[in-house]
Amino acid sequence: MPEFLQHLLNTLILGGTYALLGIGLTLIFGIMNVVNFTHGALYTVGAYVMYLAVTALGLSFFAALPTAILGGLLLGAILDLVLLRPLRGADMDTTMLVMIGAGIVLQSGTLWLFGGVAKSIPTPFPDAPLQLGPVSVSWLRLFVLGAALVLIGLTYGLINRTRLGLAMRATFQDHDTASLMGVNVRLIYTATFALGSSLAAAAGALLGPVYVVFPQMGGMAELKAFAIVILGGLGNITGAAIGGFILALAEELGAGYISSGYRDAMGFLIIIAVLVFKPTGLFAKAERIG
Amino acid sequence: MIRHIPALALLAALAALPFALGQNPYLLNALITTGIVTIAAMSLNLLLGFTGQLSLGHIAFFGIGAYVSALTSLGFDVELVGGLRVVHEPWPPVVGFLLAVLATAACGYLVGRLSFRVRGAYFVIVTISFAEVVRLVALNWVELTQGPLALTGIPPFSLGLPGLGTTTLRTKLQNYYLVLVVGTLCYALIARLVASRFGRAMRGLKENESLALSVGINATRTLTVAAVISAAMAGAAGSLYAHYLRIIDPDVFLFSTTVTMVIMVVGGGKGTLLGPIVGGLIFGLLPVALRPVMVPEAQWMVFGLVLIAIQFVMPKGIVPGVARLVTRRRASAATAPRIPMEVRP
Amino acid sequence: MTRSLTRLPALTVAFMLLSGVAQAQTIRIGVNEPLTGPFAASGTYVVNGAKIAADEINARGGVLGKKLELVIEDNKSNPTEAAAVAEKLITSDKTPVLMGAWGSSLTLAVMPKLADYETAMLVETSSSGKITTSGNPFVFRISPPSALEAEAFSPMVEKLGLKKVDFLAINNDWGRGAAADFGKMLKGKGVTVGLVETMDQGAQDMSAQLSKLKGSDADTLMITAAVDQLTLLFKQMAALGLKKRIITTGGSQNPDQIIAQAGTAAEGTMHLTTFLPWYPEKTPNPAATAYFITEWKKRGFEFAGVTESFRGYDGIRAIAAAIEKGGAADAASIRKGFWSVDFTGLNGPIRFAKAGPSGSESGQSKPDVYLVKIEAGKIVVPTL
Repeated sequence: MPEFLQHLLNTLILGGTYALLGIGLTLIFGIMNVVNFTHGALYTVGAYVMYLAVTALGLSFFAALPTAILGGLLLGAILDLVLLRPLRGADMDTTMLVMIGAGIVLQSGTLWLFGGVAKSIPTPFPDAPLQLGPVSVSWLRLFVLGAALVLIGLTYGLINRTRLGLAMRATFQDHDTASLMGVNVRLIYTATFALGSSLAAAAGALLGPVYVVFPQMGGMAELKAFAIVILGGLGNITGAAIGGFILALAEELGAGYISSGYRDAMGFLIIIAVLVFKPTGLFAKAERIG
Repeated sequence: MIRHIPALALLAALAALPFALGQNPYLLNALITTGIVTIAAMSLNLLLGFTGQLSLGHIAFFGIGAYVSALTSLGFDVELVGGLRVVHEPWPPVVGFLLAVLATAACGYLVGRLSFRVRGAYFVIVTISFAEVVRLVALNWVELTQGPLALTGIPPFSLGLPGLGTTTLRTKLQNYYLVLVVGTLCYALIARLVASRFGRAMRGLKENESLALSVGINATRTLTVAAVISAAMAGAAGSLYAHYLRIIDPDVFLFSTTVTMVIMVVGGGKGTLLGPIVGGLIFGLLPVALRPVMVPEAQWMVFGLVLIAIQFVMPKGIVPGVARLVTRRRASAATAPRIPMEVRP
Repeated sequence: MTRSLTRLPALTVAFMLLSGVAQAQTIRIGVNEPLTGPFAASGTYVVNGAKIAADEINARGGVLGKKLELVIEDNKSNPTEAAAVAEKLITSDKTPVLMGAWGSSLTLAVMPKLADYETAMLVETSSSGKITTSGNPFVFRISPPSALEAEAFSPMVEKLGLKKVDFLAINNDWGRGAAADFGKMLKGKGVTVGLVETMDQGAQDMSAQLSKLKGSDADTLMITAAVDQLTLLFKQMAALGLKKRIITTGGSQNPDQIIAQAGTAAEGTMHLTTFLPWYPEKTPNPAATAYFITEWKKRGFEFAGVTESFRGYDGIRAIAAAIEKGGAADAASIRKGFWSVDFTGLNGPIRFAKAGPSGSESGQSKPDVYLVKIEAGKIVVPTL
């Protein structure tokens, strides 16, 4: 039983960051219909900005986190303005390939700048874990969970309670009508891409200190983000949030009770199963037309 | 026949190439591996270019072909669930090749059936997931695949002709011509397929699916057959890879190789016959040419930038882009002003 | 189209010819190490150590009147890439000798190429027994095979009081070989071997394996992994509250880095290393050790890397000695020269004894193995 409780606790913590990743991607995928292959690179950039902020710039851990998020926001906006805006209206293959190219440039760039050796981000938290009865959790991971929940809450608030969010939801529903109603669709797209990218960067900045930071870390993160988007349904933020926790649960239980080696495979098996049996995702309420 | 002159000229040039290069082993090696990946790119083009299915898990077929062929020729001894022990004695590599083609064709069948249920972005993701699952299985089922320890000592192909005896293809020159022969056969197969009724059905589905369905084209059957042939060809390329390199490990399933193939197809010109070959040669040999001048990270950055640039400058790829330039020049060279017509190769 | 096809290779050939001219003035040594991927830290340390040796030798006039030139390539911690890199180094860069490839699986992947091209390689780190017992006469190793490590550790077993041991090893030739060799040694001494868990070399989250190991009744956990994974393991063990005697093997622990990054989580852990840079007076050649450490620090590298970079240093020195003894800078002479090499390296005598099936023996040297402990944030040699 204690082992199971430990798995549940790990699930909560991991699920929070996965949810961030998934929400970021589902926004971009859902509103802009772009297969975003730079999501993993943004995750990596977030982690490296965190690393730089703490080690080179000497910022406190808690100040470095918003810096990384801001960095993701800016980079996302730049990517959209430079690459996606000129290609608006092109077919999916073209934008997909441009994103792949951009992802390659970003990943190789981090490799070039920082080298292949993994980096550790120092944290201000004590090493000794917090004992909660039979289970233990490190302070760092508790912080990660807390920060992730706060960010998810903020995103939710942005989408559902602000005018910007309203404009985004309108564009998701029907972008022609939205623009007819006076929504600046071009601005919405850039804002969406920037927001989604900042969430990916946040996930990287939070998980970077838990593990280590290296240039290829975004690859697996990106694929898992795709899994979460499928689980939750395209454009469905609540679905993505829950999907993140479901993926984390599947990974923890799979690794704990079936085989540790297949931990990463859980996500993909879920995708395949969901798509074969319920292609619109577990939580999709409205289907996209087209 | 005249249509095929560029292809035949290319073939002749490729056949003479090793001698033009003085049989330099380093360059021959680069050409052989590039050639193998190009065959895989041609097969991807069948799905991506002609049928319009965004299959980004194509590397799975390549890798499965490699592993099936390698394991057939190495033999294995595994214990399955339920205590059932399966022992396989090594068979000749040629049999491995055939089994690789059959196994990947079967996988292609599954993908084809799946693509009917799941479309667009979802299809992209499910194919990527399929490749990742296969990679993780190859990584973790160490008893069968040796996982990260890699399958080593894979025997090279032995070809036997009745009355002429058998030769083992050990030298680079022999392998080069083997790849060239297989590549030419694949090209011919695709060319025939595209020109046939089946080819028109494929393109009909890609251009306008509802219209195609309304004239009676069976979407499921067309997509499935295309997937089967595409997968089988990729599996064949994988088998060539395994028996040339003589070592494979689960990294053969990495998404980055799929990316390379996609770049070759889309960069070269998807939906064209020569596209993947031109793309294959350029993007396969670009790292070799850049190697003395820049570090691998910089090479990859160039790769990425070139990929982006092509989408802006020549979105249909290099072959159609060049063809367009050629026809435009021809049209402007004509004396009487004429409306230039677009010719697709 | 045919024109552009021949232009590219022609350019490449031109470059090669140019570099071929340069080659006549230098002796090229191919360095095949992981500079990216899970073993990047270790590979980079080895390469930096190699550079120190090359510079030192060149400052003294080089070998056979020519300067040494290191051609360094990244094998990405991947066996297929390691084989491809070896091919590149031998056929394109025309190196008559190699050093590499760090990991056992990587070295094993390279070995067929060595036989194909009849080029020798100095194996500086790999510890799988298979490397020197497969009948490949082009392999010369200065690092200890794990069987030797286990043998050196054997007298400490009773002194430490080991009763039951679990293993957690990286899932490749190195880790599995170590678990097998140490397991055999322990069983021979009447110690029970419990769980044998493995982890993928790229894995970052080992909580599943650690949870299982936490529940076992063994008193000791022996771990074989490289420094980045060890740091993650110690942190995750601390978070789970896993308290057992920890002994790591393999010599790629870089204990200072573990102390720096895992902090108190590393307290009390013990490590089998092949070098004692913290106590130069205890090393076989204190003067050489002091020189190496000074040079290392002068270049601004982290001290933690010394426990691994010395292998790159000794490896190049061994190769230089082989070239000297062989009398010429071609592959065959250098290979012959290896059998006459005899000098004191930083962790013991470097002298290649025949190993493996007769007629195609590999060369194996017999270096020292030391047990160290992390106590109060410092490395000590425990008195047993």
